[in-house]
Amino acid sequence: MAMKRVAASVLRGLQNSAASRGLAGSSLMTRKLHASSGSKKIVGVFYKANEYASENPNFVGCVERALGIREWLESQGHKYIVTDDKDGPDCELEKHIEDLHVLITTPFHPAYVTEERIKRAKNLELLLTAGIGSDHIDLKAAAERGLTVAEVTGSNTVSVAEDELMRILILVRNFLPGYHQVISGEWNVAAIAYRAYDLEGKTIGTVGAGRIGRLLLQRLKPFNCNLLYHDRIRMSPDLESQTGATFEEDLDKMLPKCDIVVINTPLTEKTRGMFNKEKIAKMKKGVLIVNNARGAIMDTQAVVDACSSGHIAGYGGDVWYPQPAPKDHPWRYMPNHAMTPHISGTTIDAQLRYAAGVKDMLDRYFKGENFPQEYYIVKEGELASQYR
Amino acid sequence: MAMKRAAACAVKAAAVAAPSSLLFSRNLHTSPGSKKIVGVFYKANEYAEKNPNFVGSVERALGIREWLESKGHQYIVTDDKEGPDCELEKHIPDLHVLITTPFHPAYVTRDRIKRAKNLELLLTAGIGSDHVDLKAAVEAKLTVAEITGSNTVSVAEDELMRVLILVRNFVPGYQQVINGEWNVSAISYRSYDLEGKTVGTVGAGRIGRLLLQRLKPFNCNLLYHDRARIDPELESQLGATFEEDLDKMLPKCDVVVINMPLTEKTRGLFNKEKIAKLKKGVLIVNNARGAIMDTQALVDACSSGHVAGYSGDVWNPQPAPKDHPWRYMPNHAMTPHISGTTIDGQLRYAAGVKDMLDRYFKGEDFPQQNYIVKEGVLAPQYR
Repeated sequence: MAMKRVAASVLRGLQNSAASRGLAGSSLMTRKLHASSGSKKIVGVFYKANEYASENPNFVGCVERALGIREWLESQGHKYIVTDDKDGPDCELEKHIEDLHVLITTPFHPAYVTEERIKRAKNLELLLTAGIGSDHIDLKAAAERGLTVAEVTGSNTVSVAEDELMRILILVRNFLPGYHQVISGEWNVAAIAYRAYDLEGKTIGTVGAGRIGRLLLQRLKPFNCNLLYHDRIRMSPDLESQTGATFEEDLDKMLPKCDIVVINTPLTEKTRGMFNKEKIAKMKKGVLIVNNARGAIMDTQAVVDACSSGHIAGYGGDVWYPQPAPKDHPWRYMPNHAMTPHISGTTIDAQLRYAAGVKDMLDRYFKGENFPQEYYIVKEGELASQYR
Repeated sequence: MAMKRAAACAVKAAAVAAPSSLLFSRNLHTSPGSKKIVGVFYKANEYAEKNPNFVGSVERALGIREWLESKGHQYIVTDDKEGPDCELEKHIPDLHVLITTPFHPAYVTRDRIKRAKNLELLLTAGIGSDHVDLKAAVEAKLTVAEITGSNTVSVAEDELMRVLILVRNFVPGYQQVINGEWNVSAISYRSYDLEGKTVGTVGAGRIGRLLLQRLKPFNCNLLYHDRARIDPELESQLGATFEEDLDKMLPKCDVVVINMPLTEKTRGLFNKEKIAKLKKGVLIVNNARGAIMDTQALVDACSSGHVAGYSGDVWNPQPAPKDHPWRYMPNHAMTPHISGTTIDGQLRYAAGVKDMLDRYFKGEDFPQQNYIVKEGVLAPQYR
């Protein structure tokens, strides 16, 4: 495919930078933190590719390709078990809980690392997220156990920001009813145009302006919208002026101003179920919402009700609770949605980046070296700031 | 709806002041007296009342009925445009002005022009006047004009949307959801970020440039081909590289966007041979005109996988028949012709039509860039 060669150059770039970081000094103290020496048992839970595994040499994120690190791990004497079977007491993952040292998980097919599983994982030292967002892990329990939890920060931030902009356009321009007409043999311009709008001039608010939120704002800039952002922390004046976005200290004051709301917060104790019936009611009638953050930030039924009443005119995103979404998840069948399975952060380009990031962190773990600071979600009993 | 208030600002902004009139242009535009104006638009049916700003439909008739009738003109509006017994045909012999729109185009053929003895002015509510036989209009000394700029932003936004839909492989994911499925690999094995890809626009006029501006923060390799080069300052602002030779540009592109008008030169330009010059696995976005592509060549290329994805809102003919092959070929992200007829676009082109009718009645010139045929001369992009 046309894209394969471009994606491969991403990989080479990452390999070069990872190698050049190998000189970060190790300290005796961190050895305890990261690894006791010797052969390790590493388990990875990813999604299965089946017949798609051989369609693309860069498709490293699947079970079959196992992040492309099997040979590297096994040549160092480590054991590497990879599965997609993650749910229930008899699943493949359960068989290895008790003696694994490292568990690699991924948000696109998340292994739910509960307090109970953490308790039974006697050898567990390190939890790595191949991607970003580690809410599928009971972080409190991980902190209490003294585990290290880390993710590949930045590995798919651009991916998700692009995808959010795509979904904004899909909703505001009313793309899907048009697509449905085409494949159904129909032609009815009015049935689409009566509520199709340009993005230009609309008010867009991002709830959260961390890495992804900022990348989104940058991509929105040439569309000449009214850009608002809410976050616990204000951006630097420089960046604010570059993005052209206005800070909104009070979320409840920002929401009613927005034609479009984009969720860009992690799933934490504070954000779980945050967008419930009351919060949704604060938004304009006819608001469009894009959520590529986490499904559980929304109250599932409240979204269904609001889409059905038309208070939400369109809801698009790739995140659900739980994942995989069951066949009868109500978001599949509510009106005016633009949902997909969880894919935005697992493009081929992103897979190459997070696979390289996992490899780099495993390498440091084996050598007793620190990870890049921004990768830590739980370190030495402390939660990263965005999760507190 | 949340958007309605925002769109209303567009109406106010689009009301344009008319420059001073010139005596000699009176001949060009109109003999005085009551005129018969016919408009062909798409019907809204039950959607007509859903949005007070939905002016582009037959039912709302661009929102100018009261204004026209108060001035003593006759205004007939229909969606019935095809065949010898259609409503439009009944009015051909005596209409003075015919307003058409690309989203439901009345094909103004040489034959219809011949029979339209009173016809003086052809106005396109939107952009793109290829549904008019421009050569015949030139010979009949008609004026043809469109609302240049009225929906250029609309179309550029829509193109970027489709580029992302194709490169990120959105549609198969959506289909899984509504079919009760969940299979991430079946989407992600060929889902990519736009970042770092090579995007080439064939044509860099108004819409092409607006697209390049919107692509800039995505950090792609941007190429453009056009008859005219963009001035160096703008080129550097856009970060796009000029490609003088189209056939040299095509093989470099991961994504190709068509941004040309449909003219004698561009009709069927993307045939089997041209498509073969594109990379295997190329993605194509065409919101320009369907007839720029060879219909069957595209079907074949999508079926073979040489074209990995094709998206657009334009067809030949329009409306597209139920059995148009593009509906059923693999890897498409097609819609009916909608990109330029968003509510915001409608408000702008309705205001533009009103402004041009006003000038026509007063014998004044239109904004120069709005002319497609004037005094027997075709606008340069159509030559």
